[in-house]
Amino acid sequence: MIFEKRTERIFLAVFFVIALCIPLFLEDNSFFVGKTTTVMILAVFVMSLDFLVGRVGLVTLGHALFYGLGGYLFVILTPEYEAVNFWIYAIYIMGISALIALVVGIVVLRTSGIYFIMITLAISQMAYYFFFDSLEFGGNDGLFIFMKPETSIFGLNFLNLDNPTHFYYLSLLGVLITLVAIKVILRSRFGRIVEATRLNPERTEALGYNIFAFRLISYVIGSTLAAYAGLLFALQYGYVNPQFMTWEMSGTALVMSILGGMGTIYGAILGTITYEGLQYFFEHMTEDWMLFMGGAIILMVLLLRKGLAGYLEKLLEK
Amino acid sequence: MANDIILETESLSKHWGGIKALNDISLKFHDRQLHGVVGPNGAGKSTLLNMLCGTLKPTSGCIFHKGEQIEGMKPWKFVRRGIGRSFQKTNIYTDVTCLENCAVAAQRRFTGSFNLFASRHANKLVRDAAEKALCQVGLDNRIHTVAAEISYGEQRQLELAMVLATDPCILLLDEPMAGMGHEESLRIISLLNELKKTYSIVLVEHDMDAIFELSDQLTVLDNGTHLITGTVDEVRNDPRVKEAYLGKEDEEEAA
Repeated sequence: MIFEKRTERIFLAVFFVIALCIPLFLEDNSFFVGKTTTVMILAVFVMSLDFLVGRVGLVTLGHALFYGLGGYLFVILTPEYEAVNFWIYAIYIMGISALIALVVGIVVLRTSGIYFIMITLAISQMAYYFFFDSLEFGGNDGLFIFMKPETSIFGLNFLNLDNPTHFYYLSLLGVLITLVAIKVILRSRFGRIVEATRLNPERTEALGYNIFAFRLISYVIGSTLAAYAGLLFALQYGYVNPQFMTWEMSGTALVMSILGGMGTIYGAILGTITYEGLQYFFEHMTEDWMLFMGGAIILMVLLLRKGLAGYLEKLLEK
Repeated sequence: MANDIILETESLSKHWGGIKALNDISLKFHDRQLHGVVGPNGAGKSTLLNMLCGTLKPTSGCIFHKGEQIEGMKPWKFVRRGIGRSFQKTNIYTDVTCLENCAVAAQRRFTGSFNLFASRHANKLVRDAAEKALCQVGLDNRIHTVAAEISYGEQRQLELAMVLATDPCILLLDEPMAGMGHEESLRIISLLNELKKTYSIVLVEHDMDAIFELSDQLTVLDNGTHLITGTVDEVRNDPRVKEAYLGKEDEEEAA
């Protein structure tokens, strides 16, 4: 069983049942279908960050770099007026993102602690200004996606990405795959050494493990998943721009993961839903929603030291 | 005789700025022997050990393992050559069980650690080796206890079990008995007596009774320099050793 905790199993069962049913109730409200789709996509992004920060021990402030790359790579690599195959291009884009993450990782992982935070931030800001200033990539306006890809597998086509409900289910599938992939990796032999490296790097090295390699592979995995989330987000809204790569994007995801319960992975889903829900609520209540949002987050972080997942566990674990 | 030298240092030195923590140390460590290292505080014992296991890079000098020069290698490569070490300050994974602590140590021997899919619990060899190491040091009743919850002495035993679980050919032990109770110490002494029949051991220890009892070879360091290496009796009767340990007290009295 890759889901070891009772709380985790209960939450995920409830979450997936509700998530599967949501479009049935919102059939004619495409705004909410779109909103929940965005939440699912963000959950993929936040889970990939939670894996790196909470489980590998790499506190990165540059994770949005790969979120943006997922979107930009799609627009750059596909012909403008031709529908490409989604699955083939998803794998293609994740492959290239993995290569970029490998190169970036080799550089940033030479540092640790506060320096790691600074260098990841610096590199993602460099990418941000590169796209911001580049004419061929649309500058501040970014690039538009004119044709959504088709999704046939061996001639069978279940999904139409122009249909918001179909797109919603594709994003939900992304959540499921990301969740299972991360949990399988964490339980694996590789995961054992990754965990050991987070708990005590010096000791792990003294037991004969090349901790740099373990961190690098983890960094590539987390970054690649983030690129997939970025790809989905770009496809949902039909554009990509430098805003995808801002440090606010990385920072917000970090807040979501802390809110949910750092390192719990399923907490990342919980944190994303809560954050987005609160933001929606406050936005519609008042102009000064940011003030309330900040207050709510400070309160929650103070009261729930182990995040929402930690609170749930206190209620449900005996 | 020369063939059983498993680890050798040649004019090994470590300088921190102008301070010579260790100066021109040439030692030979033999197979199936326990080589004690003693000396007053600040003599450079831990510095020596840290260089032998690759954590510290020497300022000058060489280290040979089975005739191969290794001092420039990464620490994890030292372990892969069979050079296992324990730390002076307890260095374990406090958040996980004793079994998991040793499983991390043992995993590398049996399976690839870059497998992203196979469950970490699936390999029986790893588990057996981890349990065996725990039994060796006498922690058989603590296998499933979280390491933070066992006593300090037991944590020292766990530290030793982790080194054993890596299946080393040479053990570098930095004060393994520090902070242990009398009975725990006796247990470790008899364990080390057993282990030196199959392993080569370098032991840094403050407990003189233990080290006199265990050592086949004994090296005395003082102030970063090599005073003498010999059998326990040779060292005990050497005037320079007496001076290093007692001479300073004389000076203090004189002052």
